[in-house]
Amino acid sequence: MASARSTGATVTGVAARTLDITGLTCPMTWVKTKLELERMAPGEELRVACREGEALENVPRSAREAGHVVAVEGTTIRIVRA
Amino acid sequence: MNSRRSFLRELTGSVREVAAAARTGSGTFLASPASSVPDPDLARYSRQLVMPEWSGAAQAALGAASVLVVGAGALGSPVALYLAGAGVGRLGIVDNDDVELSNLHRQILHFTPDVGVPKAHSAAAKLGFLNPEVVVEPYQVRMDAANAAGLVEGADLVVDCSDSFETRYAVNAACCAARIPLVEAGVLGMSGLVMGIRPGESACYRCAFPEAPPSAPTCAEAGVLGPAAGTIGSLQALEALKLLTGVGEPLLNAFLQADLATLSFLRVTVTRRADCPDCGRA
Repeated sequence: MASARSTGATVTGVAARTLDITGLTCPMTWVKTKLELERMAPGEELRVACREGEALENVPRSAREAGHVVAVEGTTIRIVRA
Repeated sequence: MNSRRSFLRELTGSVREVAAAARTGSGTFLASPASSVPDPDLARYSRQLVMPEWSGAAQAALGAASVLVVGAGALGSPVALYLAGAGVGRLGIVDNDDVELSNLHRQILHFTPDVGVPKAHSAAAKLGFLNPEVVVEPYQVRMDAANAAGLVEGADLVVDCSDSFETRYAVNAACCAARIPLVEAGVLGMSGLVMGIRPGESACYRCAFPEAPPSAPTCAEAGVLGPAAGTIGSLQALEALKLLTGVGEPLLNAFLQADLATLSFLRVTVTRRADCPDCGRA
């Protein structure tokens, strides 16, 4: 069964959380991302593994509208929590 | 009567089946395939969770909340349906009446086969069907000054959907004494009123209406239009969600007077009365 997974990971020496939303469809993609961001401290980074398509457009837009800093690298969405 | 009983039996059976299916994730009742909805609980609330104003914390607050709905009639129907749908953890439903045919045009929790069935139980069956995650407790009793304190005890919020000034004053007094937030409302014909109350902080129902009008017509005498009750009940549910979650701005120290014949809404400011017998500081 597909599910969103969140794990702690160390990327270039900085603790970053990761979230896999490749198995999800809108709006669950943003719901899962939003809830994960809620659990994080301001300034923390979340790396979201995403599929090509709708979510790759919608999740960064929703994250920006919520005030977070967002960068998209391929199918990875990097979000720094506001 | 047999057909009514079998209807409720079937409905209750279906509710159990859905609940079991939801727990195991094996249900044929789930509209979406499990592969695209990995978390049925979250999917249920996803359309409110995506709202910028809403949050996981707001959802958790609802899930932890216990709400008492006084009356399962014209106002109580939309109130209980929306609160159950939104994910309030525990819903108490207080109503001593049986469903009558004349109720059905406005009391959308009850259906024709329910005629003769206690409203509290008819309501509990439908709410369980709508959201098996909600714990619904039917209380087949009429709330009055004698039992109000006991019934509201332990509630995080009370929504008064009763149909008499006597009951409203009893509910208001009990909520003020226990400091339980309350959403009051009334509807008649094509007009209605809604008021949110945080006892001790904002004006209470008796501050706004110290005495019942000498000859207030009842719903049975004056009539009421179904969607008018639905509108007022929906506003009540909205205010309840605001008070429970902190999302939005609750209608406090004011009541909303709605003239639905002309769609005119008037917000009337109310101030606390020092000599209020229910919430007064004197």
